Amino acid sequence: MTIGLGHYLTVSAILFTLGIFGIFLNRKNLIVILMSVELMLLSVNINLVAFSSFLNDLAGQVFTMLVLTVAAAEAAIGLAIVVVFYRNRRSIEVEDINQMRG
Amino acid sequence: MIVAALAFYLFSIVAIIAALNVIFQKNPVHSVLWLILTFFNAAGLFVLLGAEFVAMILVVVYVGAVAVLFLFVVMMLDINITMMREGFIKYLPVGALVGGILFVELAIVFGSWAMSPQSEALRSAPVPEGISNTEALGNILYTQYFYLFQGAGIVLLVAMVGSIVLTLRRRPGVRKQDISVQNNRRVQDTLEVVKVPVGKGLAS
Amino acid sequence: MTALPALSLVLPEVLLTVGAMALLMIGVFKKKDSTSLLTGLAVLLMVAAGASLVLDPPAAGTAFGGLFVVNEFTSFAKLMTLLGAGIALVMINSWAHTEGIARFELPIVVVFATLGMLMMISANDFIALYVGLELQSLSLYVLAAFHRNNLRATEAGVKYFVLGALASGLLLYGSSLVYGFGGTTSFAGLATAMASAEAGNVGVIIGIVFVIAGLAFKVSAVPFHMWTPDVYEGAPTPITAFFSVAPKIAALSLFLSVLMGPFAPMVAEWRQVIVLIAALSMAWGAIAAINQRNIKRLMAYSSIGHVGYALVGLAAASTEGARGVMFYLFIYLFMNLGTFACILAMRVKGRAVEAIDDLSGMSKSNPGIAMALAILMFSMAGIPPMAGFLAKFYVFMAAVNANLVPLAVFGLLASAVGAFYYLRLIKIMYFDAPRDAFDKPDFSTRMVMAASASLMIVYFIVPADLVSEAASAAQALTGR
Repeated sequence: MTIGLGHYLTVSAILFTLGIFGIFLNRKNLIVILMSVELMLLSVNINLVAFSSFLNDLAGQVFTMLVLTVAAAEAAIGLAIVVVFYRNRRSIEVEDINQMRG
Repeated sequence: MIVAALAFYLFSIVAIIAALNVIFQKNPVHSVLWLILTFFNAAGLFVLLGAEFVAMILVVVYVGAVAVLFLFVVMMLDINITMMREGFIKYLPVGALVGGILFVELAIVFGSWAMSPQSEALRSAPVPEGISNTEALGNILYTQYFYLFQGAGIVLLVAMVGSIVLTLRRRPGVRKQDISVQNNRRVQDTLEVVKVPVGKGLAS
Repeated sequence: MTALPALSLVLPEVLLTVGAMALLMIGVFKKKDSTSLLTGLAVLLMVAAGASLVLDPPAAGTAFGGLFVVNEFTSFAKLMTLLGAGIALVMINSWAHTEGIARFELPIVVVFATLGMLMMISANDFIALYVGLELQSLSLYVLAAFHRNNLRATEAGVKYFVLGALASGLLLYGSSLVYGFGGTTSFAGLATAMASAEAGNVGVIIGIVFVIAGLAFKVSAVPFHMWTPDVYEGAPTPITAFFSVAPKIAALSLFLSVLMGPFAPMVAEWRQVIVLIAALSMAWGAIAAINQRNIKRLMAYSSIGHVGYALVGLAAASTEGARGVMFYLFIYLFMNLGTFACILAMRVKGRAVEAIDDLSGMSKSNPGIAMALAILMFSMAGIPPMAGFLAKFYVFMAAVNANLVPLAVFGLLASAVGAFYYLRLIKIMYFDAPRDAFDKPDFSTRMVMAASASLMIVYFIVPADLVSEAASAAQALTGR
């Protein structure tokens, strides 16, 4: 029952896959896509902390803190863009992002 | 050891189930709640790995700020009116469920920490020896990684400027309270004393 | 203790940071609209940062505990980025007032984006790379959606944001794997780790592939190019001009310094990926552009193609290849800025038009613009006697010398196909029936057009100086 690095990496990989799935399979809602991005970043954080712990090196945790900070900034910008898009289109459905094609 | 392994499986399985729900829920409000649950469980995994500070930051930043921001925007955009109108009662079961799971988990985490010294074994040795994780991070964050710290500050500044420039608009016709104007009002500006001649009234 | 020498290395970045904050204060406290003033000051900032690089070239070295590296390569790339950003800012200014999106934050966000690019170029560590890249990307998302009452601009913003965030996620996952399996995030540390480790550390290889995917997104190379045409079409035109030069220069320089720095020993593994991406980009850039009706979309596909050609130099993985990429980027910078200046000049009675058919018969109504655009198109197509030919020549030569003859031949074929649509534009301008004449463009736009068109000829005749600059930059990168 020892929990090794591989276990953490597996969890992280599953979350990462779910995040990517969420971006590509989601046909309904832009905000859920933003949440999927957050899931991806979370999985990266799990990776980094696990490596940091098993390598006995703090750089990974510093990286995690920066990823957290930047992810917060990214969420703010992303939601702002979604809000301005909603004001113009009155919808945040993925099918409605269709003004340009080709 | 067993307890630590069980904690790992608990956190990771709940995190994965919650992440699945983030994606597959129809209602974005439910998705946000499940996202919060995912973050709490990831924080649990961080604690198991011996990164307490990052775990706490994850809870504070994500649950406290990012998830609330998401909820705020979901509510503000008023996406599906029929679903939103049904309001509080409808979200109560899901909210209660998420909250309940969180509570039980927190209890288990604290319990296992207090009771089993074996969970220490799963933590790799904290670096450097003898000081806490937070202290160790603080020691390098402001010295060795000073450049990145400043960089992150600028990223946050850009995020602030960017979201303000995109979303702030001054709408005409909104009556706002302007305290300095209120305080500067004088009696002479608003009141006029009129001498009314007897028997004639104000009609001039 | 070591703070002062470090500060002299980061002088351009410090100038931009402090300057941007000062501009922000001016913008906030000034009552009247200060966009023009702030744009002027922002251009001055870029000039000052560029001048600090040219007049007092910083000695090669690292700062901030090895997170930040300065050498001739970074200085050359930074200079190009600053040139691109400065010229784009000049074009943004006149345009912002006519389209009514003049707000004082616009130049400030551009300055922050440029700062992010400089940080990317100088990154010597995966964490520093990430912070710089995100500073750049977040500013660019805001710029794409800056015309916030315009549906297409905000849609461009949404698309750019979602796909850009996905790319950052891929890059980040890759760097986490590299960190875990390589043991460090520092480029210098990774270089020693890679050199000593036996080839075939699967974790690192998967990490590199993720990193390449993320970076390919940022330079819009082919399997990851989906956002480019929509963002180019939807974003305000001068901002598209900015998107098409500065971020590409920064991201391609980053591509070079990551793959030819720490991962140089693993060239056998990553070369196949780069060859594939380069070939696909060249092909798709040439084929998909043929049917476009909108000139901004056409430029998007054109830029995809150009990124493909530049990546050929990277695939060569030699000093010669790096020199080719730097030379290519310099020429590309002016080709693209000049072409976008011509697109900005496409205004009929005060209204901007962007259909290719609007160019029809331009040689009679606006001979000057038609002339400039024709020179630029010849250069883009890579037809001598224009500098675009030399640019392609150097990367293809590098590929041939690196035993990548099939790739070079493929590139030649792609540029022959690509030449078709560039020449079609010239045909439309010179041989079709004239339409409404365009309004006379303002002084700065005309200057950009004239200068870039003449540079295309000048650098064909006397390329020696630029080539030797590019060569010494490449030497600083590879150390050979």
